[in-house]
Amino acid sequence: MDQGLSVTKRPRARTAAFRASDFAHSLVEVARRYQLLWHMTVRHLRGQYKQSILGYAWAFLNPLSLLLTLSFVFSVLLRFDSGDVPFPLFVFVGLLPWIFFSTALASATDSVVGAASLVTKVRFPREILPMAAVLTKVVDLGFGLMILVALMVYFGETPTWTALWVPLLFLIHLLFVTGLALPLAALNLFFHDVRYLVGVALTLWFYMTPIIYPVDAVPSKYNVLFDINPNALLINAYRRVLLEDIGPGLDRLLIGLVVALVTFAIGYYLFKRMEPNFADRI
Amino acid sequence: MLIESDPDIDFRGVSKSFHIHEGNTLREFIPALLGGRGWDVFQALHDVSFSIYPGESVGVIGRNGSGKSTALKLMAGVTAPSEGKVLVRGRVSPLIELGAGFHPDLTGKENIFLNASILGMSDKQTRAVYSDIVAFAELWDFMDTPVKRYSSGMYMRLGFAVAIFSDPDILLVDEVLSVGDEVFQEKCMAKMREFQERGVTIVLVSHSLDLVKSFCHRALLLHAGGLVADGDPAEVADRYHDLMWATQTG
Repeated sequence: MDQGLSVTKRPRARTAAFRASDFAHSLVEVARRYQLLWHMTVRHLRGQYKQSILGYAWAFLNPLSLLLTLSFVFSVLLRFDSGDVPFPLFVFVGLLPWIFFSTALASATDSVVGAASLVTKVRFPREILPMAAVLTKVVDLGFGLMILVALMVYFGETPTWTALWVPLLFLIHLLFVTGLALPLAALNLFFHDVRYLVGVALTLWFYMTPIIYPVDAVPSKYNVLFDINPNALLINAYRRVLLEDIGPGLDRLLIGLVVALVTFAIGYYLFKRMEPNFADRI
Repeated sequence: MLIESDPDIDFRGVSKSFHIHEGNTLREFIPALLGGRGWDVFQALHDVSFSIYPGESVGVIGRNGSGKSTALKLMAGVTAPSEGKVLVRGRVSPLIELGAGFHPDLTGKENIFLNASILGMSDKQTRAVYSDIVAFAELWDFMDTPVKRYSSGMYMRLGFAVAIFSDPDILLVDEVLSVGDEVFQEKCMAKMREFQERGVTIVLVSHSLDLVKSFCHRALLLHAGGLVADGDPAEVADRYHDLMWATQTG
């Protein structure tokens, strides 16, 4: 059809369903639209604490209050043993990535429904919406990291070079949560039950992840549950590299990476398959 | 001289049907799935074919519920046809419910960049036309004000200005020229004529037959989801009158 007369105007069929071979092309398109992703993130951030007196102080107060509650209940009342590491520090290294994971998943699940007026009017890669929701929580995580640094200084815990693993661990986490969030955000359009299911699942998942207890405290017959749970693998790895000053455990890390990659690939595929019907279902 | 060229918008045997459903919860979905009590289907478009060529200004007319909005959504690429093919080439700028992407808590300036990026512009491109956008919308003093403080007229003006400066190849216009005061409407019309002269393809959905007759080269008449007339705007408008009369008395 197009004989090369106009380079910028390529015919686009709008019926073709997303196929595995479209992966690279559509991820490149997302990368090309990084400025849109950024503007959407700012949009989320601005909406997040709007009309609250404390504003961004909530990004500190939320994790801090959770930390104090958990520390009091489990360290003072129930006298959990966290080994050589002070309990608040032990909990917080697990809590911070968990807060990121759970808030990112919940917020991304609602992101497409929340942008209904946009989705029914303008064409743009819809995966930008859940991705921006996740990025918003990365900014929140940045605030939480300041608390972590303060805690580490307070307890005299100096990180060693093993802390350099953290960015890589976090990238795996980011990939995993985005991969889960994509199909949930799409399904939430079709069934609003999904958002409530996500809430229930997150509560269960919190206790199934070694956040308030060390992974060693788990009877070995349940180990398999933790070996396939990327949150458990990653939180355990964060603790190792930040508090125990040892490597992340490469075999476990590899499992985490593979699970995250597979989750992302499947999640992205499902999202793109459902995408053409979004505007009809809002 | 007639130049052979490919259409900008090509509908080939396009049908679009929707499931009519009460709500979006599993409680409603599972009985429908198990009980075989399928959803009611509403056919918004039925086997519609037409081609719109570069530089054409085409009016789409029809009564409410005739399928105009669905056709526009298919052109904007926000929905896919149930059957047939929709081909669209080039950057589409939908002037459909202006300011759909605005966020009330962002300032006018931030919303310009956000909305322009939704329409596919880079920040660099937006910066180049930023002052034109502000001047067109006549909102110089309000760029640092959150748009929730804007009047609805200001809101619409900014939305129109962003869309119009997004350098579209195809402009989709849906009844938006009723925005703002008469002076601003005049300005919008002047801008659209400028686009027309520059060879931008324009699709105009309107209930105003006068507007379609004076502005468009061609008109499409949709009725009950089918394309019943395609041609000279004055003739198509007459068909529309006949149809209106027939359905009212019949």
